[in-house]
Amino acid sequence: MSLWVDQYRPRSLDALNYHHGLSERLKALAASGDFPHMLFYGPSGAGKKTRISCTLKQLFGPGVEKLKIDQRVFLSPSKRKIEINIVQSNYHIEITPSEAGNYDRIVIQELLKEIAQTQQVDMNAKQRFKVVIINEADSLSRDAQAALRRTMEKYMSNMRIILCANSTSRLIAPIKSRCLLMRVAAPSEEEISAVLQSVAKRVGFDLPPDAGAKIVEDSNGNLRKAILVLEALKMQSPDLTGPLSIAKPDWEVYCHKVADLIISEQSPARVMEVRAKFYELLSHCIPPTIILKTVAERVIEKVDESLKADIVHWAAFYEVRMRNGNKKIYHLEAWVVKVMSLYKQFFYNIDMSEFD
Amino acid sequence: MAPKTLAQTQPQAGGQKKSKSSTATRSRTVKLDGERGPSSSASLKMTRLDPLTAFSKTSITTMAVNKSNGSSQSQSQKAKGKRKAKKVAIESDDEDEDEKLKASSPLVDPDDFLWVDRYEPTTEAQLAVHARKVEDVRRWFSEAFDGGPSGKLIKYRRILALTGPSGTGKTATIRVLAKEMGFEILEWRNTIGEAPSTLFGDQSSTSQFNADYEGLFTKFEAFLARASTCHNVFGSSSSAQSSNRRIILLEDLPNILHPKTQTQFHEALHALVSAQSPNSVPVVIIISDSGMRGEASDERRTDGGGWGKDKSQIIDVRTVLPKDLLGSHFNPIAPTLLRKALGAMLNTHFSKSTGSAPSKEALDVIVESANGDIRSAIMALQFACIIELPGRSKKKLGAQRAVLEAVTRREQSLALFHLLGKVLYNKRKDDPPGASASVKDLQKERDIDAALKPCAKLPAHLRHHDRRTSRVDVDTLYADSPIDTSLFSLYIHQNYTQFCNQVEESEDVADWLSWIDSSGGDMWYQANPHQFHLLTLGTLHSLPSPVPRRSQKYFKPEFFGFLQKEKDAWDGVCATRDWLTESLIFREDSGWRAGGWSKKDVVLELGGVLKAQDAQQNQTFSKPPSLHRRFSQMVFTRTGNIVRASQLDEREDFQADQELDVNRDLDFVSPSLSSKPKEEKGGWLESDDIDEF
Repeated sequence: MSLWVDQYRPRSLDALNYHHGLSERLKALAASGDFPHMLFYGPSGAGKKTRISCTLKQLFGPGVEKLKIDQRVFLSPSKRKIEINIVQSNYHIEITPSEAGNYDRIVIQELLKEIAQTQQVDMNAKQRFKVVIINEADSLSRDAQAALRRTMEKYMSNMRIILCANSTSRLIAPIKSRCLLMRVAAPSEEEISAVLQSVAKRVGFDLPPDAGAKIVEDSNGNLRKAILVLEALKMQSPDLTGPLSIAKPDWEVYCHKVADLIISEQSPARVMEVRAKFYELLSHCIPPTIILKTVAERVIEKVDESLKADIVHWAAFYEVRMRNGNKKIYHLEAWVVKVMSLYKQFFYNIDMSEFD
Repeated sequence: MAPKTLAQTQPQAGGQKKSKSSTATRSRTVKLDGERGPSSSASLKMTRLDPLTAFSKTSITTMAVNKSNGSSQSQSQKAKGKRKAKKVAIESDDEDEDEKLKASSPLVDPDDFLWVDRYEPTTEAQLAVHARKVEDVRRWFSEAFDGGPSGKLIKYRRILALTGPSGTGKTATIRVLAKEMGFEILEWRNTIGEAPSTLFGDQSSTSQFNADYEGLFTKFEAFLARASTCHNVFGSSSSAQSSNRRIILLEDLPNILHPKTQTQFHEALHALVSAQSPNSVPVVIIISDSGMRGEASDERRTDGGGWGKDKSQIIDVRTVLPKDLLGSHFNPIAPTLLRKALGAMLNTHFSKSTGSAPSKEALDVIVESANGDIRSAIMALQFACIIELPGRSKKKLGAQRAVLEAVTRREQSLALFHLLGKVLYNKRKDDPPGASASVKDLQKERDIDAALKPCAKLPAHLRHHDRRTSRVDVDTLYADSPIDTSLFSLYIHQNYTQFCNQVEESEDVADWLSWIDSSGGDMWYQANPHQFHLLTLGTLHSLPSPVPRRSQKYFKPEFFGFLQKEKDAWDGVCATRDWLTESLIFREDSGWRAGGWSKKDVVLELGGVLKAQDAQQNQTFSKPPSLHRRFSQMVFTRTGNIVRASQLDEREDFQADQELDVNRDLDFVSPSLSSKPKEEKGGWLESDDIDEF
């Protein structure tokens, strides 16, 4: 038994619960015989990958679900070995090039060339082309995107590319213009609660409406998160009645406490303390942008209205630096000290005006 | 500044030195060529034609001189480039080298020898090394040859590593002890210089060179094998006993920065150590750690590759040696010992030759500027005796100092500890003196202040940037810094908060750090070349002045420790993801999701379920790998959980803390070896001591 979120995932376009218009369009595309390169984008937990797999099934039939995992080794120019896990079927192949870090260009080039230069040999196959799914396309480096752009045109006859990304903003324009863009929006609250109910029914229990509402509220439009929370709750208290408290993940609670630390005292010693917490978060693999965002949101809840704009401004400012820089901790800390200083000055000024 | 002074002084020196013998004057003008006698006109011509072979000619004549004297003295440094890979250096037992040279070689002007070679210490009394250190090494040797009191220590005394900055008497100690205890030194030298000399075709044809070619490392292995098993046939071997006592001296190491060569090297050493022959030969490895720059080639690797170097590019004990070895560290030579040694040397020199000894002030300057490097000090001394330094009056002492500093200047003379102190204490002109400062210190501070120019007044709108003139010279710091900017910024980052009074000051420092880290591009050629200056100036500008003294201690960056932790946690993420994917793929009933789980989703969203599953007693399906706790569990504690970084000790250099560097090949780092010194040396300098450097 696997996780509910995997077990009760819709397996065909017809079984999808929401965005029916999108499903219809995908179905028409798959039937048209002129399938384009595609780019699925939208927030996480909206169902991009589910839709991609359903589309593939529509294209190739159930054979596409017979998967195997390969580990491929690529050699970097400096003869470093890069190991990449690849999931593939007879009709498609999935890669996550961002796992190769800075060497993603090599992975993309090698792999795509190899696929594109082999013809489909299965005479019963519904389509002449293979599909390459590229996950986390928005974290591809510029080099890799440039490499992709040429390949997409050159090998159009043998291969289609499906990109999957959270946002299109970090993809270069030539790639966007070569793809059919598919936005998968986050499901609405009603849609999420409908999905939760249907999952509960398939598992075989009744989901009390207020518990469902609580989960939906907590999920923030992320269906995957909602189903995961449902499963965790069900494991904790099997009857799902009475006052439910949805436990936030440890890292989120941690971030909130860091925010409280920032507000309660502003001193160099406190900076050190906050830094230790940031190090702890980073060493638990929490992405630094998420840390910054979560802490900033929490700080904003607590401070005076007039400070909020500034705090968000500096969060954005240091986030850009974080992307350019190497040592994330510097930028997180610079933001914290900035906020502390703003907060302190704010109170200092209040005191002065009262004095006058 | 310094070269200019030098140029000015030379004509003056020449004028004053007219009284000296003409040979001495000549030797002053041509410094590189050691051959000034009338018999060496042939080699003089060679000098013009081909500087490479000219040196080998030099050594040939030197050798001939020695042979005519009937001595087997062959350790002259000048033979370096010329001799074959295997060089057997046998110490002559009784003769003083200097005497011999003077007596036996009328053709060679004694002034042409560097004093470093000429007055090389021959007895322990002449060594400027601390007596206890010499005693340690002697005891090691006696245990290696005789097995100590119990006679069983022989097999544990196989490799001795001597480390320390250059010019601290490592090699000299070995040579003196060799003479005293009567053992031979078998020395390895890399023969890089051989190839170009054959190209000029004066000794061997090129075809022979090709036929004989074997890799340098093959030669090295052969040398080790032969040296450890074979006896010297031609050696002086006055008695059978002395030929039994031999050591292998490795000063010139193979290229161990190359990973493969390093592995081979370690294997060779291991083979040597594990060979259980009754008369095994101990190996002495000498590693100078001067001129090495610490680099933090760290974070790029964590992004999954990039420009990060595969290995640390620094030679230190842990790269050179496999684990199970004894090391002995030589500290820079103390000024008192140095002065004594130099004084003794001057006495011997001027008892034999004419000329005036340099003044006491000059000696002071030399001792001061040598930074504990005795070789540099002797060179400076010789220089000071050959050219006349600018006048003795107090006024000209400054010029004299400038000349000598230009001569003795070392690549790296600032310890990390002092580098941090200079920046973080942010001393400025007219700082109130420290409470415990002596009169001399006060005078010194006043001198420094007098030399500083006051900076121009700022316009009104920039008034808040007004600072008093800093006593810190950024260019000197940059030249002397033992670490690269990236590592330096980590140290600043770790320590700056203690030196700030208010959040506002921290804000400025943090902003500088952030800006410098993000400036420049991804590629190496886009890197910002001014990072060090920006960082130092920015920090100095932001810190309060004067910095509060509350006996701050320096800590090493926690960065690397957490980086390692993050790497481990990523292993946990991967394991969890594999577990998820597996349960997905090999089950017919479950729906399949393209791309499986991304790492980010696993980290951010799976925490709750994993926790619930851990709490579950009866498992219906396979448990998630326990590694997931590395990323999914975080306990927030206010106190106690604060990881205190380990302190930076004054005597430690940057290498000690690089053990945390994720790039280091952990196989060869013995944690016990590297962490021990830290625990032993618990002390730190009080704040008032720091700023004297």
